[in-house]
Amino acid sequence: MGELTNIPQWTWEVAGYRLVFNSETLIMSWVVMGALIVFGVLSTRKLSFIPGTAQTLGEVMVTAFEGLVNDALDERNRKYFPLVISVFMFVWLSNILGIFPGLSEPTKDLNTTLGFGILGFIIAHYAGIRTKGFKKYALEYVQPMFFMAPLNIIGELSKVVSISFRLYGNIMGGFIIIMVVSDLVYSLVLPPFLNAFFGLFVGTIQAFVFTMLTLVYISVQTK
Amino acid sequence: MAILEVQWVEAAAYVGAALCMGFGAIGAALGEGYAAGRAAQAIAKDSELSGPILKNMLIGQAVAESAGIFALVIAMLMLFVNAEGATLVQGFAYLGSGLAMGLGAVGSGLGSGFPAAEASEGLASNPSTAGSLTTNMLIGAAICQTPAIFAMVVAFMLMFTDYSSMALWPTWAALLGAGLSVGLAAIGSGVGSGMPAGSSTLGISRQPAAASQIRTNMLIGSAVSQTPAIFGMVVAFMLMFVDFSDRAAWPTWAALLGAGLSTGLSAIGPGIGNGFTAWEASAGVARVPEASGPITTTMLIGQTVAQSTVIYGFLVSLILLFIPLEASTNIVDWTIPLSAGICMGFGGIGPGIGEGIAAAYAVNRIARDAEQRVLLTRVMLVGQAVAESTGIYSLIVSLLLLFVV
Repeated sequence: MGELTNIPQWTWEVAGYRLVFNSETLIMSWVVMGALIVFGVLSTRKLSFIPGTAQTLGEVMVTAFEGLVNDALDERNRKYFPLVISVFMFVWLSNILGIFPGLSEPTKDLNTTLGFGILGFIIAHYAGIRTKGFKKYALEYVQPMFFMAPLNIIGELSKVVSISFRLYGNIMGGFIIIMVVSDLVYSLVLPPFLNAFFGLFVGTIQAFVFTMLTLVYISVQTK
Repeated sequence: MAILEVQWVEAAAYVGAALCMGFGAIGAALGEGYAAGRAAQAIAKDSELSGPILKNMLIGQAVAESAGIFALVIAMLMLFVNAEGATLVQGFAYLGSGLAMGLGAVGSGLGSGFPAAEASEGLASNPSTAGSLTTNMLIGAAICQTPAIFAMVVAFMLMFTDYSSMALWPTWAALLGAGLSVGLAAIGSGVGSGMPAGSSTLGISRQPAAASQIRTNMLIGSAVSQTPAIFGMVVAFMLMFVDFSDRAAWPTWAALLGAGLSTGLSAIGPGIGNGFTAWEASAGVARVPEASGPITTTMLIGQTVAQSTVIYGFLVSLILLFIPLEASTNIVDWTIPLSAGICMGFGGIGPGIGEGIAAAYAVNRIARDAEQRVLLTRVMLVGQAVAESTGIYSLIVSLLLLFVV
C-alpha cells in the first residue's frame, strides 16, 4: 500500500527556489498528449468521402459534441468548440489510462485537474468579458444586492475548486479501491471488473461531466 | 502503562477515518436507493423501456456514488498517515478532517440521487429526450456535489497541514470546529441543490424545447442553495487560519467550537429550504418557459430571505471568533459562548426550511399565473417574516448570552 503516499518526484534548484515536479504525472500527461497527436494525425491525414476507421472515430466524436456545444453557446461563441472537445479527449484518455498495465492516470494528481479547472475558469471569464463588455460583466457581481459581492466572488472561485476536486476525488478514489481490493485478493479475479467499472465507466462519465461543466461555465458567463 | 502522545494521534486518525467513512456512506446509499426505486417504478409503467432506463439509472448512481468515494479517499489517506513526531493537537486535526468529510458527504450523496430518480421518470414518459435528459442529470448531480467537495478541501487541509507546533489549547477546538462547520453546512446545501437538479431533469422531458432555459434556472437555483455551504466553508477557513494564540485559552476554546456549530447547524435549514424553492422554480420554468423571468426573480427573493437565519448564524460565529473573552476557567464563563453557538445553530434550521417552503408555494403559483406576482410576493414575504420569528428569538437569546448575561 506504499504507493498511496509515495509520489515519485524530480527536484530542481533554480535560483534558490526548489522546483518539484511529479515525474509520473508529467510522463503520463505526455503519453496522453502523444496518443492524441497520433490520433489527430491518423484521423485527418487522408480525409475521404468514405471514411476510414480513425476518421470515423473522429467524426463520431465531433458530431456528438457539436450538438452539445451548439445547444449551450450562441453563434459568436461557437469558436470554443475545439477547446471543449480537446478538454474532453485529454481528460477522457487520462481517466482511462490506468486500465493499461504500467500506465497510471495523470488526473489522479490534483495538479493536473486544478490546471484544467483554472484554464476553464480563465477562458469562461475572458469569454464573458468579450461578449458582454467589462461593465456589464462587473455589474453581475453586485447582483442581487451590493453586499453580496464577496459571496459572488467566492462562489465564482469555488467553481474552480469544485470542478477540479470532483475529477481528482473520483479518479483517486477509483485508483485506491482498485489498489486495495487487488491487494486483498492477490490480484485474482476481481481487478479486471473493477478496472472496467472505475476506469472505463466512471472515468468516461467524469470526463463528460468535467467537459460539460466547463462548457456550462462558459455558457453562463456569455449569457 | 503510559500512552505515548504519538499513539493518541494515531488513534485519533483511526477514529477520524472511521467517522469519515461511516457518516460518508449514509448519503450516497440513500440517494442511490431512491434512484433505483424510482427506476423500478418507471420500468413498471413501460417495461419496453427497461433497457434505457436501467442504463440511465446506472450512470446516475455512479455519479451519486462520488460522495461516498470522496469519503473513501479521505479515510484511506488517513489510515496511512504518518504520525511520527506529531503532537496531540494533530490528532484533533484528523478528527476534524474525518467529521468534515463524513458529514459533508451525507447531503450531496442524497441530493445527487434526485436527478437520477427523476431522469428515470422522465425517460418513461418521453423516451425521445434521452440525450438531453442524461446530460442534464449529469450536470445537476455533479453541481450538487459541490458542498461535499468544499468539505473535502477542508478535510485535505486539516489532514496535511502540520499543526504540531501549535498550542493544544485552544487550537484543538478551532480544528474540530472547522470540521463541524463545513461538514454540517454541506448537509443542507447538498440535499437542497439536488432538488432543482431533479425537477429540471423531469421538466426537460416534458418541455424539451425549453431545455436551455430550464438548465439556466436550475444552475442559478443550485448555486444559491449552495451559499449556506460557502458560509460554512468561510467559517472553517477562519478557524483554521486566524491566529488565536494571543487569546486566553479558556474560555476561547468554547467560543471557537461554538462558532463552528453556529454556522454549521444554522446552514442546514436554509440549504434545504432554498432547494424546495428552486425545485418549484425549475418545475415552473418547465411548465411555462415564457414566465422564466418573474419565476427566477421571485425564486431569488424567496431564497435570499430564507437565507437570513444562516446569516444570523454567521454573525454569531463572527462575534464568537473576533470578540476577545476574559481569561477564566469558571464553568459559567465557558458554557456561555458554547451555548450561544448551539442556540443560534439549532434555531436556524427550522426557519430556513419553513421559509423555503413558503417561497416554493409562491413560486409554484406565480408559474401558473404571472399576473398575480405582486400580490403573491407580498404574501410570501409576510409569511416568511412570521416564520422567521423563531430564528430571531434564537438570535436574541444568543446575543443576550454573549453580551448581557
